[in-house]
Amino acid sequence: MKRVFALLLILAPMFSLAFSPGSSPEEAKTDSASTPVESRMALNYLCGSDSVTLTATLSIKKGDITLALENAPVEFAAGDGITSKPFGKAKTDQEGNAVFKIAASSLPADKAGMVTYGATFAGTAKYPGANASVTAKPAKIKLFFSIEDSVHLLKVTATQKNEKGEDVAIPKETVMLYIPRLFSLLKIGEIALDETGTGTLEFPKEIVGDTLGNLVVVAKIEEHDVFGFVQGQNVINWGVHKQYYKAEVPSRELWTPIAPLWMIITLLIMLAGVWAHYMYAVYELVMIKRLSKKDKPLF
Amino acid sequence: MELEPKNPLRDFSPQLEKTSIQGYVWIVFLLAVIGLGAYAFFEQLFKGHEVTGMRDNVVWGVYIVNFIFFMGISYAGALISGTLHLFKTAWRKPIIRMAEFITIIALLIGPCFILLCIGRLDKLHYLVFFGRIQSPITWDVIAITTDIFGCFIFLYLSLLRDLAVLRDYELLQLPNWRKKLYKVLALGYTGTPEQQKRLNRATDIMAAMVISIAIIVYSVLAWIFSVTLQPGWHSTIFGPYFVIAAVYSGSAVLIICMWVFRKVYHLEAYITQKHFVAVGLIMLVLAAFFGYFTFSDYLTKWYGSEKNDELLIQLLFKEFYWPFIISNYIGVLLPLLVVGIKKFRTIGNITLTAIVVVIALWLNRYLIVVPTLESPYLPIQDARPEWLNYTATWVEWSLTAAGVAIFCLLFTLASKFITIVPVTGVAGEEKKEEVLL
Repeated sequence: MKRVFALLLILAPMFSLAFSPGSSPEEAKTDSASTPVESRMALNYLCGSDSVTLTATLSIKKGDITLALENAPVEFAAGDGITSKPFGKAKTDQEGNAVFKIAASSLPADKAGMVTYGATFAGTAKYPGANASVTAKPAKIKLFFSIEDSVHLLKVTATQKNEKGEDVAIPKETVMLYIPRLFSLLKIGEIALDETGTGTLEFPKEIVGDTLGNLVVVAKIEEHDVFGFVQGQNVINWGVHKQYYKAEVPSRELWTPIAPLWMIITLLIMLAGVWAHYMYAVYELVMIKRLSKKDKPLF
Repeated sequence: MELEPKNPLRDFSPQLEKTSIQGYVWIVFLLAVIGLGAYAFFEQLFKGHEVTGMRDNVVWGVYIVNFIFFMGISYAGALISGTLHLFKTAWRKPIIRMAEFITIIALLIGPCFILLCIGRLDKLHYLVFFGRIQSPITWDVIAITTDIFGCFIFLYLSLLRDLAVLRDYELLQLPNWRKKLYKVLALGYTGTPEQQKRLNRATDIMAAMVISIAIIVYSVLAWIFSVTLQPGWHSTIFGPYFVIAAVYSGSAVLIICMWVFRKVYHLEAYITQKHFVAVGLIMLVLAAFFGYFTFSDYLTKWYGSEKNDELLIQLLFKEFYWPFIISNYIGVLLPLLVVGIKKFRTIGNITLTAIVVVIALWLNRYLIVVPTLESPYLPIQDARPEWLNYTATWVEWSLTAAGVAIFCLLFTLASKFITIVPVTGVAGEEKKEEVLL
């Protein structure tokens, strides 16, 4: 018995070492129970063709741990830098993100066309408030597709509003081109816009689309000092048609209507063999029970 | 000095008739651990799997490890008891029932850990209604169900003679309901030549069946892993490797059970050093096989130098260094040394070695499941450390402890219902029906 305890004493530290690669958030929370809480907010801005998408990311910092704050109301506003107009509220998801869209036509701007966007979390008894703002000039990217001499061409134009509210070109900027895939955006090229705010790219072949060959093409101006993030997108059926694999004969895939015949036969033979023996054993038990009525007890 | 058995049933009567204060304390302790597990279970049921350490990346954790472990010792019990029975091994009698109990009890507990792992228990019946034969999970469900029936029949057949003895032994001070139960379960067995013939035939057939089913079922469990392309799992030797590891861990659990019941029920006259050495030698041979399979598996992975296999082996030798050493070095070498060298073959040493082997084999299953899932082929987005790496939470440990406690409790209750050592033919090979009253 003493040896058993000695063994457990030796192995206990090994176990604790082996299974403690790091502390879990729950443990960290407990450790920092007395540490003051700080709320933090980041505001991201994406200008689309018809609307502006604002994403406020709210988190709390407690000691060394930063956690997303879920279900918190965030108020969004936009203004010309002097006055601010509230547009509405959204609640954060489990990632701490609150997303809000504002129609591009209703944005208040200053004389230079700049709009200041704001997001505010008023705070609760448990968590202090936080706010963030970002200033950018609304812009638009449009995508056009054409075929010239059997060459597929993608034309991109980028525009901004002038003081009179008219669309004018954004010259000499770089536009990145992507196609959304399962996990991220696949970059297919970039275009340098000319003086007229226009650029052209030969569209790559052999990109797999959906079953009809449809591809979503996304054009972006990224991290611009004035325009921030601007995005436009369009759909074209220039992709390779996706062919879903269809098994001609039953196969191992789970989506095939029926299992391969060899598999069914093997399973049936095995199950029949095994259960037949079970039935035989049960039959012998029944016979033992019947025999008891005929014989005298030995014990 | 080895003691000679005299009258087994008279010796075993106290364990069937009454429970000591220590026995009640033991049962209360086990119930308390099970209660903690029940609390953890409801915590998981109401809050979801968020309370466990399992996340999108590592979707299998301690629950699956426990499932493999318990199923392993169950199959080992079936293999050992079936083999000893078929070969009419002379020394098998005092220990064969423990092996049979291990089979059934572990087989009942193991699948419960799968249920704990399933997120949507309300859709469990889909397995029956919409199960696809193409899926290894369906193979496993069919195999385990078949195995449970087979093991119950085998256990019942091997209990029948003793049930008849308990029914007819009038000196036994038991409540009426238990006597009636023995009477019903004994099926009127009186040991006539015809009954003996039929019983022996059925038991022999079922012994052969449980051996083959155990091998097939545990291979199916191994195939759930090896049919995937995951690094560390995609191996052709996983089937036999799992079977060997199962019997190895089961032989160690059997030794621990032998030691415990020998101490608690004072069975020194029945379970002697000879039995410990015999099962210890089985364990030794299995240790050598287990070591061979382990070495073969890792050598080919290491030499093949596939990127993900290399990453996995690096992970095993860095972050999982101690579990790897205990599992694959200490767990293999210790039985070879202790049982292999004659002067070390004491009951205490062999039991101590068996405890180390059980821990090593549990860690072996942990190392098969977790590090592989921590090194996936596809990168995941939003790779937070707590999502990438797995650490079991108190909920999982509590339910693990509850599983072990249920195993101990059922074993305790089974030993209160029927003698832990068969009272028929305990003196050795029975050429004729032998009842030691």
